Amino acid sequence: MPSSPPPAARLRGSGPVLPAVLFVLAGMIAPLALMLRTSFDRFDPETLIVSALTLDNYLRFFETPFFREVLGRTIAISALSTAICLILGLPVAYYLARFPTGAAKSRLLMLILVPLLIGNAVRTSAWMLILNDHGVLAAGLARLGISGPLGLMYSASGVMIALVSVLLPFMIITLNSVFEGIETTLEEAAGSLGASHLTTMRRVVLPLTLPGVLAGCVLCFTLSMNAYATPVLIGGPKFHMMAPTVYQQITEAMNWPFGSALAFVLMGMTLGLTVGLTLAVQRRYRRWMA
Amino acid sequence: MSDVVLDRVAKHYGATVAVESMSLRIGSGELVALLGPSGCGKTTTLRMVGGFVPLSSGLITVGGRDVSALPPSRRNMGFVFQNYALFPHMTVAQNVAFGLEMRKLGRAEIETRVTGALERVRLGAFRDRYPRQLSGGQQQRVALARALVVEPDVLLLDEPLSNLDASLRQEMKIEIRQLQQALGLTTIFVTHDQDEAMSTADRMVLMHRGRVEQAGPPAEVYSRPRSAFAAGFLGVANLVPGRMTRMDTGSDTGRGDGFVTRAGPVLRLRGHRSIQGDCVLALRGEEVTLRTGQPAGDENALSGRVALATFHGVAIEYHVETEAGLRLVARVPAPGVGGPEVMAHGAEVLACWAPDAGVLVAET
Amino acid sequence: MIRFTYAAIATIVIGFIVLPLVLIVWMSFFSNPILSFPPEGYTLDWYRRAWSMSDFRGGFFTSLQISLCATVLALVLGIPASMALVRGSFPGRDTITTLLMAPMLVPAIVGGSALFVFYLEVELLSGVQVAGRLAGLIIAHGLIALPWVVKLVTTALTGMNQSVEEAAASLGAPARVVFLRITVPMIWPGVVAGGLFAFVNSFIDLEKSLFLVGPGRTTLQIALINYLEWNFDPTIGAVATAQITFVTLLLLVTSRYVKLHRAF
Ligand SMILES: Nc1ncnc2c1ncn2[C@@H]1O[C@H](COP(=O)(O)OP(=O)(O)OP(=O)(O)O)[C@@H](O)[C@H]1O
Ligand SMILES: [Mg+2]
Repeated sequence: MPSSPPPAARLRGSGPVLPAVLFVLAGMIAPLALMLRTSFDRFDPETLIVSALTLDNYLRFFETPFFREVLGRTIAISALSTAICLILGLPVAYYLARFPTGAAKSRLLMLILVPLLIGNAVRTSAWMLILNDHGVLAAGLARLGISGPLGLMYSASGVMIALVSVLLPFMIITLNSVFEGIETTLEEAAGSLGASHLTTMRRVVLPLTLPGVLAGCVLCFTLSMNAYATPVLIGGPKFHMMAPTVYQQITEAMNWPFGSALAFVLMGMTLGLTVGLTLAVQRRYRRWMA
Repeated sequence: MSDVVLDRVAKHYGATVAVESMSLRIGSGELVALLGPSGCGKTTTLRMVGGFVPLSSGLITVGGRDVSALPPSRRNMGFVFQNYALFPHMTVAQNVAFGLEMRKLGRAEIETRVTGALERVRLGAFRDRYPRQLSGGQQQRVALARALVVEPDVLLLDEPLSNLDASLRQEMKIEIRQLQQALGLTTIFVTHDQDEAMSTADRMVLMHRGRVEQAGPPAEVYSRPRSAFAAGFLGVANLVPGRMTRMDTGSDTGRGDGFVTRAGPVLRLRGHRSIQGDCVLALRGEEVTLRTGQPAGDENALSGRVALATFHGVAIEYHVETEAGLRLVARVPAPGVGGPEVMAHGAEVLACWAPDAGVLVAET
Repeated sequence: MIRFTYAAIATIVIGFIVLPLVLIVWMSFFSNPILSFPPEGYTLDWYRRAWSMSDFRGGFFTSLQISLCATVLALVLGIPASMALVRGSFPGRDTITTLLMAPMLVPAIVGGSALFVFYLEVELLSGVQVAGRLAGLIIAHGLIALPWVVKLVTTALTGMNQSVEEAAASLGAPARVVFLRITVPMIWPGVVAGGLFAFVNSFIDLEKSLFLVGPGRTTLQIALINYLEWNFDPTIGAVATAQITFVTLLLLVTSRYVKLHRAF
């Protein structure tokens, strides 16, 4: 006779998760909680932190045009580079997914996967040699008779170019696995019913990839909202985005309360925007998914 | 006219040959079943007709028009996939309407035709469901409606019944056949089930290793297989290898041909086509009778013992190990339908069959 | 025609991703005193120089040490947890899975700064210094590594057909033998992939370590960034080439055993 197991049995097997759970609680949840608390404290140049319960740090952030601008710039650059990654990534991911399985396909996938795991520092420094005024791009253009300073280093467009290149593999790999999961017979069915390739993509394939598109966009957006190396190295000291600002407030200004508030604004914005996007997309595919 | 002609169609994947050389004409309004063992190239052939697989060589025409180079979207064929390939994010009605939208029909017309098509497959009440909310048989019917609603020139079905249970398969088989006849649709139906092929098709095409092994009306192919492979695939239980010899000094009952089996005994044949050299006597289990007394007339008779008996409802199959070294299968009516009493394992019997029973077929 | 269009786009986009890396490898052999184009000649001096600089050489070994420790930590914590999450029958498994995966979702900058503030508070309270110490970095990197192990090992476990184990048991194998001869070999690719991604993601981490490095104890990524702040010579190229080679080799070797792109 089936009956619900006694409580002891229901807990059976939970022991091995405890160390990992404690590790994450101590290493991530507790620091985040403390940081949240710190963001309500007050800063004092002498003693650094004065215990308080105030919203001053958040108010200061939203009242200072400079910080508002930094946040706006970060969101704009992230949204734009995510969109570009999506547009460039879709055809590549689809091409790879439909590439006949074999050694050639594995090699192509490695070309995406290896850069993804090379690290931001190296990949961004590689872009520095391309974008700087004595770099590869300038030399190439000079050969074509176009000379003069490029002005890409220390500019928003330079940051965007490098950011898109750094983030593209994340988008492609995510989208690729989604495309792999879509049966080719669906495309063939659409084709035999008279749909052209583009119509098939628009009406059949893309709606089915929506969850994957969402995952890819959330990943790229989060990474670019929190990008550090690219804005610092390509953008230079006068180009401000959120992540370097958090770093600067916490380690250089030693203003932990304000830095904590900044970090939470950054995390809140990232989460808020991605959750909003997720809900908007989910409303469209919930009907046939579950 | 929308007859389909395959002219020496071939498909190679690198070194593997999926379809070696297929020549075949499917008449307008005819239902042809492509039958054959796994891997013989049925799906590949069908997909080449549908336009999903480019030909390595050869030509496919529909109503005299060469379609070999046309993309699927311009062939006006209805394709029913083995896994149905319903669009999961569209409702039943949206799935069926898709092909009509591609043909840029007006809203009202699409609506009436979708409703009509769904009525025809008895799914009118399910129009707003999503595919995952349907049973296998219902999904199958949606796939059928979606393929038919565009009024294709040719209907292509790739093992459409293989995911259904036995009774549903029976039902859908009849339904497909009735629809096809009502619409007069030129149809190619891929299956690896000979019963399915025989009961639905006007003509049966048996494939083997990327070639047509034998083609013809089901009754003809069934009763006159031309090769040991065809006979075996069509369920002939006894394939006895040997060679023909002329035998002028037959028994009293008349002259006949002799068949020297590889196992030893010489069998009596009458009225068989003559095949030179090594060949195979294909003898259906039904053609073999088991006796305990004397053989009747000029029957071939081999004595032996029952080695195995399997029950099949209306019939029992006995595997008889003969003293001559041949193992024969006899299919006799079960006691419940007027057959003899069940014989015990090891019982001594005489396996008998008439000299004109069975067919001689080429060895390969 | 359609295929050709896709192939063309793919070539351009993949070029956009890969070409900068090819260029930096090439330029690491230039004899130009600053990174510039075209080459004035070729030399191996930058490699010698990179090796002689304690920031880079020390950074490499520090990174190696941290990443190896973090990977071992993540495997030790992550494998039993994954087994329990997939096979166990206790309430809240979904929540716990989300919790263990969370360090991957929390932005590294936020996680790193929180850990930094936390370490300093702990130090204020207890006098134990963690920030700027190896232990502090290993904890931070263990948090980078753990989600990868959990993700890939649970995937391997759920993807595994459990009737295979039942088959082994019904053939007379005791539980321990079933585990060692059936379960372990079947989830092994997941463990290898988990360990690899844990190691590499820890090795290349920049943002989380930023806050936690101390004087004389920098990771390779931070040494690179610091150097770039004041210098722009092919030494960078030499270090980058070394890292590219290192990661590529690791991936190539592992990719013979596991389908790495499935990890995402
Ligand atoms: N894309 C492909 N690449 C390489 N070989 C293929 C490909 N498609 C089919 N083949 C090979 O061609 C042969 C015929 O395959 P096909 O799918 O047509 O067989 P089938 O008769 O439909 O078999 P089944 O009854 O199992 O569906 C097989 O040997 C198969 O391995
Ligand atoms: Mg097939």
